[in-house]
Amino acid sequence: MILRLPGYLGIGLVYAYRYTFGVLFPGGCKYYPSCSQYAIDSLRRYGLVRGVILAGWRLLRCNPWSKGGVDYAEHQRLFH
Amino acid sequence: MILASPLTPLENVLRSILEWIGPHGAVGLPWGWSIIALTLMVRILLVPLTVKQIHSMQAMQAHMPEMKSIQKRFKDDKQKRNEELMRFYRDNNVNPAAPCLPILFQFPVFIALYLVLKHSNRLIHIGDNVRWLGFVPDITHHANAHWSGYVLLVVYVLSQLASTYFMSATMDKNQRVLMMILPVAFVPVLVKFPVGLVLYWVTTNLWTVGQGVVTRRLVPKKPAAPPKRSSRTPPRNEPPAGDGDGDGDGAEPSPPGQPARPPAAPKRVKRKKKQARR
Repeated sequence: MILRLPGYLGIGLVYAYRYTFGVLFPGGCKYYPSCSQYAIDSLRRYGLVRGVILAGWRLLRCNPWSKGGVDYAEHQRLFH
Repeated sequence: MILASPLTPLENVLRSILEWIGPHGAVGLPWGWSIIALTLMVRILLVPLTVKQIHSMQAMQAHMPEMKSIQKRFKDDKQKRNEELMRFYRDNNVNPAAPCLPILFQFPVFIALYLVLKHSNRLIHIGDNVRWLGFVPDITHHANAHWSGYVLLVVYVLSQLASTYFMSATMDKNQRVLMMILPVAFVPVLVKFPVGLVLYWVTTNLWTVGQGVVTRRLVPKKPAAPPKRSSRTPPRNEPPAGDGDGDGDGAEPSPPGQPARPPAAPKRVKRKKKQARR
């Protein structure tokens, strides 16, 4: 439980982002689930460090030149 | 405070640009207009990214019937519907949603500008030219320091609603309503922000609205051309069949001059509706 705490902290930050900046700077996401949902899922599943890396990598992929698509956190191939 | 140190370089860059545009710099605009000019510069930098999205939206217009059918087919299963839509976008190389990265790019700029205005005493000769449009006495003051701040906040809320309207087109209805209501709830927090920042916000929102209007103007035009002439879309991207199944790419190679495809008819109907509304 205590080991999972940093991950939950990260999830809290993502929610905080969602209801502040996410609202003030609206936009969609090219992927499903959205980048913020992906961040929450990966933080919950892989903890703070790996979750942040996965979410960061996802954000970099969510650029104008990518195709988008369906991409779940549990289908990642970075960590095993 | 945590954000202060990593953003200090950006804060310094923005301060230099502002001083360059500002009343004592090369351009010589008053501070209020300098902030607006800076905002426009940031948005102009982002324009190439939006052009890509406009093209994508134009291409998507041709796929409307299939998208509608996917939405109808998975009406009760939100997750499945979104998955199928995303797959469909990917397979057809269209995506109406804005990517997250460029949006995220605006946060550091926004926070750095907040820091610039918070440390406005570091700007050279900030004392003069802080009025804006004759009714704002000082753009470095909090919005609640003068009635003009409240006027600007009203303008801000309206511009925010309008820009959310354009930006949230791909969202669910509930989410969209929430996105429209929340900015109003933020006003009690925003009154503590410097007026200059509200100016930034209004400008960037109005830019978004302008972009949205331009996009909507450009988008219905494209499918008005007969489908056979669509040089933008390579033949392999043509819709496979009426059911819009992404994997069923079994479309026989038809000669380019033959538009005889089932979605053609509903497409034309859609177009007429669009034109009638305009």
